[in-house]
Amino acid sequence: METPDTFTLLPLRLDAGTKAISSSQPNPPSSLAAELQSLNTLHRSLLTLDTPHTIPPAPIPVNPKRSAQVNKLRESGNADFRKGKYAEALKLYTLGIEMAASRPPWEPSGLVREELAGLYANRAQAHMAMSQWPEGSIDAQCSVELKKVGNAKAWWRRGRCMVEMGRLEEAREWVEEGLEFEGGEAELKSLMGEIMESLARKEKAKGKK
Amino acid sequence: MNWLSLAFPVVYLAILIGSLSTFSYVYRQRRATKAASLAPWFPPHLQRNIYLSLLHHEPEEGNEKSAKVPDSVLKAALLRRATEDIHRIIAVRNAKQALSTLLQKGCVGDELWQRFLRAEKEIEEELRDVVNEANAFAPGWGQNIFQSANEMANNAMIRKRMDELQAQATAEKEWWEKRKATIQTNFMKELDEEKSASTLSPTARSVASPTGTSATGKSVSDDDAVIVESGGPKESQGGGKKKKKGKH
Repeated sequence: METPDTFTLLPLRLDAGTKAISSSQPNPPSSLAAELQSLNTLHRSLLTLDTPHTIPPAPIPVNPKRSAQVNKLRESGNADFRKGKYAEALKLYTLGIEMAASRPPWEPSGLVREELAGLYANRAQAHMAMSQWPEGSIDAQCSVELKKVGNAKAWWRRGRCMVEMGRLEEAREWVEEGLEFEGGEAELKSLMGEIMESLARKEKAKGKK
Repeated sequence: MNWLSLAFPVVYLAILIGSLSTFSYVYRQRRATKAASLAPWFPPHLQRNIYLSLLHHEPEEGNEKSAKVPDSVLKAALLRRATEDIHRIIAVRNAKQALSTLLQKGCVGDELWQRFLRAEKEIEEELRDVVNEANAFAPGWGQNIFQSANEMANNAMIRKRMDELQAQATAEKEWWEKRKATIQTNFMKELDEEKSASTLSPTARSVASPTGTSATGKSVSDDDAVIVESGGPKESQGGGKKKKKGKH
């Protein structure tokens, strides 16, 4: 290990045209290669900045442009969903997710969480409207992962997808966890009741056989 | 005579103190070298090495002109370094509480604690160094470089987790396709049983006929089966969805 006064000199090379950094070894270790790649990506996004000294600004205040775009995509997705154009809505939500996820990395992560949670929850709904349960359940899980509290809709959606796929045990566990976070959310409760009913019915059917 | 009797205790004391101090000196030095040779807490700081390597970048033979690494690259490298420092400082903070409790209970050895203390000192040193470097690039950057780095670390974490979850989608989808197929065959079997058991009623025939063609047109039949299979729950769910629409 290097002491605070020393470091390990790595064989690096600078591309004169693109200013990309690469290792001058023929086969660099994978960790170094990956790190250099993320360094070059970061460098490119730094170059798009127009702040003085081209340093990333403090996280707050946020540049409102991207938030507006993300919101617009979500709104038009919602509008399409209401009209029953689920495939279009899905496309718009996906675009919105990409837009939100490609926000420059130094901007507030809380905002990214908030935006992505909403978009994933909406995309889950669009998937569900087209009976694509596996995709719906994963999107709802993503949404919950980003925002556990105050996201009853996403909890409910994954539970519902699980029920539709016949994975009742998993659905029960999931909704139980959801109820812990959301307290007495009426829709989650009624879904729970439904799951318990079908589980009981299944037990009965098994007993009969 | 008088001199000799006085010299004896003096010599005795001198030898005693001398040997004790030699022992203590040797012991301390050994402990110091041992502490220095302890395995480091963290792996080598790759980002730091890259940054410093770039800072000390030597021109290649032949094209001296392109040798200077632009500041923007160095800034990016410094940001990466600060991000890694954020990971490390979080690791140190999380470990400290648990480790000191374990040390008090005697569950972990003193050696681990020594390694930890050294890591903590190193990371403090490292943070100071990064702040100084940042201030050298742009006045005042040292104050918020770690804010930016913190957001970068969190954002990277979010994206990684999302990618992990989304990567499961294909597997889940395949599983569901298979599952759907088995449900469908079971359904058809049941229908066949019904058919053989009782005389065909006109409604049963109309349901059986689209599934009957499934052997030839697979992609079409899958959809049919789903509609038949999940018709009930889907309708009941439709109501719930409409209720929610206003809430976006």
